[in-house]
Amino acid sequence: MILLEPENVIIKKVVNEKLQKPTSLDQTFVDFDGVRYHMWTPNSKSKNEIILSMSVACWSELEAYGAFQVLQQHYGSDVQKGVEPGYDVSISVDLNTIPQDLEQRNQYINNLSLLKRNAMSAPFLQAFQTQKQLEGTDIPTDGSPIPQGPLLELHYRNQEAIYIQAGIDRVTVIFSTVFQEETDKIFGRVFLQEFVDARKLPSIQTAPQVLYSTREPPLEIRHLPNLIKSDDVGYVTFVLFPRHFANEHIAASTISRIQLFRNYLHYHIKCSKAYMHSRMRTRVADFLKILNRAKLDKNESERKTITGRTFRSR
Amino acid sequence: MGFAGNSEPSFVFPTVMGLPHSQSAAGSSGPGRPSAASKPSHLASKRGIDDLDFYIGDEAIQNSKSYGLNYPIRHGQIDNWDLMERFWEKSIFQYLRAEPEDHHVLLTEPPLNAPENRESMAEIMFESFNVQGLYIAVQAVLALAASWTSSKVTDRTLTGTVVDSGDGVTHVIPVAEGYVIGSSIKHIPIAGRDITNFVQQLLRERGETVSIPPEDQMRVSEKIKENYSYVCQDIVKEFRKYDQDPYNWFERYQGEHSVTGRQYGVDVGYERFLAPEIFFNPEIYSSDFLTPLPNVVDEVISSSPIDVRRGLYKNIVLSGGSTMFDHFGARLKRDLRQLVDTRLTKSELQSGNLQKSSGVEVNVISHKRQRHAVWFGGSLLAGLPDFYTSCYSKADYDEIGPSICRRYTIFGSST
Repeated sequence: MILLEPENVIIKKVVNEKLQKPTSLDQTFVDFDGVRYHMWTPNSKSKNEIILSMSVACWSELEAYGAFQVLQQHYGSDVQKGVEPGYDVSISVDLNTIPQDLEQRNQYINNLSLLKRNAMSAPFLQAFQTQKQLEGTDIPTDGSPIPQGPLLELHYRNQEAIYIQAGIDRVTVIFSTVFQEETDKIFGRVFLQEFVDARKLPSIQTAPQVLYSTREPPLEIRHLPNLIKSDDVGYVTFVLFPRHFANEHIAASTISRIQLFRNYLHYHIKCSKAYMHSRMRTRVADFLKILNRAKLDKNESERKTITGRTFRSR
Repeated sequence: MGFAGNSEPSFVFPTVMGLPHSQSAAGSSGPGRPSAASKPSHLASKRGIDDLDFYIGDEAIQNSKSYGLNYPIRHGQIDNWDLMERFWEKSIFQYLRAEPEDHHVLLTEPPLNAPENRESMAEIMFESFNVQGLYIAVQAVLALAASWTSSKVTDRTLTGTVVDSGDGVTHVIPVAEGYVIGSSIKHIPIAGRDITNFVQQLLRERGETVSIPPEDQMRVSEKIKENYSYVCQDIVKEFRKYDQDPYNWFERYQGEHSVTGRQYGVDVGYERFLAPEIFFNPEIYSSDFLTPLPNVVDEVISSSPIDVRRGLYKNIVLSGGSTMFDHFGARLKRDLRQLVDTRLTKSELQSGNLQKSSGVEVNVISHKRQRHAVWFGGSLLAGLPDFYTSCYSKADYDEIGPSICRRYTIFGSST
């Protein structure tokens, strides 16, 4: 598994299970980036009705970028706001109305499990749209600033944020990442450097351009007031060209991938650590073997005096 | 595994990993030897992403044709730490989808786990996953905590005897105030798998297996065990009942051939009450192990320190899938009480009726969450507000090192 999947496995599993046998349900679980879910049956009598609520840290920002409309596109009138206190958005699922056809049903459940991804996709979609509008305009030659879309900020974690900006021929996505651990920082730096270098391979020339900088924020967001300046912070910039969101299908997969970038990074840092640890264990076992080989054999033969008595060493 | 506060785990799957054949050949060393040593030494020259190519749990079993299966846990003890680390990696990121930095983790361990194992667990959790906090709990204690949900439990103590019967082996574990009394733990080599085998054996003796395709026999026996079996109070009476009115008591199991899809049916008869009976009369199944379960429980309790015995008799908790039979608790309670009462009357007689015993209260608690009792107990305890204070945080770990996990405060016992 190289890439993380965008869908939530628990939602999928629970809905599938309840389709087999509806029982009362009350579960809370989480997703990446501090997303919390609560799945429950509000009515103890009708067990076919399930409410899936989600809370996202940056919901107010998402809503400003039209996340609710995006969700409505995906889920129709099933999606509601403010149903449950403490959660931002809820979807009511009626097990009776889920399509019977296996393919349609799987699609429906898949769609449900993509709830977080769909909500987070709103600013990306907006940026893609702005880019389309700007596409026709020429770059001014008289020195006036180049027209570009608004800078969309998404503070999806406590200290980390995504910045998205549409330009005439591109959409720039900037991640700020914070590493708390010393080792993570080193791993992360190596990993991200590798990311930039890998782009130079001829086979992946069509991939988005990646830039990486520590400490110094990229020019696009340098004017922002509340940026943290420390060695722990790194900035990763992806430059998406129109070919990366040319049609709906490509755009959707671009959004899914790029959203999970931070988790992807951290997952692979953990994997590299595990790999290092297994190497270390191998090495230790090897050294132990050598040490054991170097052990002196005890002199077992008993030494006797001429009369037949033995010495005893104390 | 799952999240605290829920009533059932989000995922239940066996600890099995599917590795590509090249790796599994290298990784499968004999038990006892450190497995890493057998790996080829040219590991360093390996480049790429081979170490990410594996499946865990049910997916591994589905892919067992192209991937070799490895079990990182043997007899309840972690055997191969490399594999276990990768197993956790995948279960956290792919299944639970949680960032370990943001969460506290509760791991369980078998009773009598070596402290070195605890340290290694803590090392992996803190060093590679940077978890916020970690608590390692003993499974038996969590099973006791899970019994608090039963309506019969009035006071929430962590003193009691846990009868934990899974698939491979049955343990009887006395726990006093949250600490396991290691010297009196007893194991019984009779558990779920043996019951299944016994059912199969009974079916074969009656000639019922003719209609079952041979490759499905094991599965059918398992289904019969899970769906039709119960514990009776008296075998002889039960036999008579079945013989007098077979139509009322015999059940019919309808199966489907796993390959051809052909339908077939099996009569389910005496297996229904004989299957779980091997706990109480092991001589009908095995010739090696002959002590019935109630006697084992009694032995365990009487080898415990004298001041906790009363508490142990009073609170016998069942856990694990093989204790789910109907009336299992009632039968255990009855047999155990008989044992205790005969002993009491005997000692009264020996003292010449001078001393009267006030009687010992025997109580077996069965509850709805028995199957995943350990998990549920963990979920319950981790949901308590003082869970976070009894965890060790990353900062504590950095300060003291892995040896910090040798001791944990037992929490919840005061509530």
